[in-house]
Amino acid sequence: MKDLPLKELLYKMADDLLILGHRNSEWTGFGPLLEEDIAFSSMAQDKVGQSLALYTILHELGEQAPDTVAFTRNANQFHNCVLVELPNQEYDFSLIRHFLFDTADSLRWESLTKSSYIPLAQLASKVKGELRYHTLHANTWIKQLGSATEESISRLQNSLNIELPYALGIFEESIYEKEIIESGVFPGEKILKAKWELKITEVISQTQLQLPNLDSITPKIGGRIGKHSEHLQPMLDEMSEVFRIDPTAEW
Amino acid sequence: MKSLDPRVGRLPEIGEPGIIKPKVTLDQFGSFEVFVQPKEGRSFQHEGVVHAPNLELAYILAKETFTRRNTCFSVYVVETRDVFVSPLTDGTTNAYDLISDVASTGILTYEIYHLAKRGKQHVHAGQVSAGSPEEAMSEAKKKFNSKTIYNVWAIEVAKIRMTSSEEMDYWTTLPEKKFRDAADYKGGDKLKTFLEKSK
Repeated sequence: MKDLPLKELLYKMADDLLILGHRNSEWTGFGPLLEEDIAFSSMAQDKVGQSLALYTILHELGEQAPDTVAFTRNANQFHNCVLVELPNQEYDFSLIRHFLFDTADSLRWESLTKSSYIPLAQLASKVKGELRYHTLHANTWIKQLGSATEESISRLQNSLNIELPYALGIFEESIYEKEIIESGVFPGEKILKAKWELKITEVISQTQLQLPNLDSITPKIGGRIGKHSEHLQPMLDEMSEVFRIDPTAEW
Repeated sequence: MKSLDPRVGRLPEIGEPGIIKPKVTLDQFGSFEVFVQPKEGRSFQHEGVVHAPNLELAYILAKETFTRRNTCFSVYVVETRDVFVSPLTDGTTNAYDLISDVASTGILTYEIYHLAKRGKQHVHAGQVSAGSPEEAMSEAKKKFNSKTIYNVWAIEVAKIRMTSSEEMDYWTTLPEKKFRDAADYKGGDKLKTFLEKSK
């Protein structure tokens, strides 16, 4: 029982990373430039790797094995925010998602380096370099394309406007928010959101993009309690296809 | 609005009848040279080229294109036009013998690279202080001329996008990513087992 707040945090982080890692990996072979295709695919692998590390901690806390957890749950058992499950569209959509999510994700991991739960603090220190690269990649592309041509600016602006309500759903609070903060495991979604807002404002202010007033946007929530869009289940079906044919297969 | 989306922009435009014109120049990104230091203490060596819209993005793309496997300690990139090259020899003449001796004003720092074997990579030899690429090569001739080499490169340090000291953690988890190496899948072993079983 005492582990529930911690497990809830680990599940939502792991599920975010697995689902976005899978979505981003769908770009492999289709990226806009060869080098960008490689970079985006590598970062997708990093995300899946980070989710595996989190599922492994959960397994040590008594949950099922990582593969079972990743491949046998239904959509309503996933705790990821809806943002990460939305289907890929044009590359601008994925770049904006990468920027909005990875900014929040890297700030979350950064605060976890000081977590009272030691395995999580250790993992947070370990993946610091991966996150440093992911945010450098995201911020640099946003600054470049957010100030480049009429087409690049309007594409990014359009995706930003569409995705912001979902991005605010990253910070959907847990029913255990009070416990997780008091135990010193994680400072909570409110503090994270405030840091995220500062950071995305800093980057966007260096471009010709306009950041709408976030207080005027209704966040798309529900993902953290298993209420997802119609897009998650088909993605899970595809992701777990090989596992369901042969759960013991090694590849 | 003219689209830059490659799937749109690369479609040939419908032209005016009778108009003959040159193909547009610079319709691709410029190129950048990538240098990798595989392990701490080892020399940097030239690994290849990336195409990118600017130096910072070249660094970002080079990092995954050239250092996503095995080990890496540091990487840097420089625009191709900022790499100055000496005459290439056939291996019977030392490249340094083809470099004129000039006095150095010594105000800039240059990285010097050598090509010791044909078909191999340029490997870092050291740094010199000089006022121009010609001066840098002349300084390198005094400092690093110990054996016959094919070619010398000189790159002004200020033109390079280095890995900063705080960025060194990019590669911390790299040695664990064995799944990026074909050998990790032990394909040969799996095939052997399969063939034995199906006998």
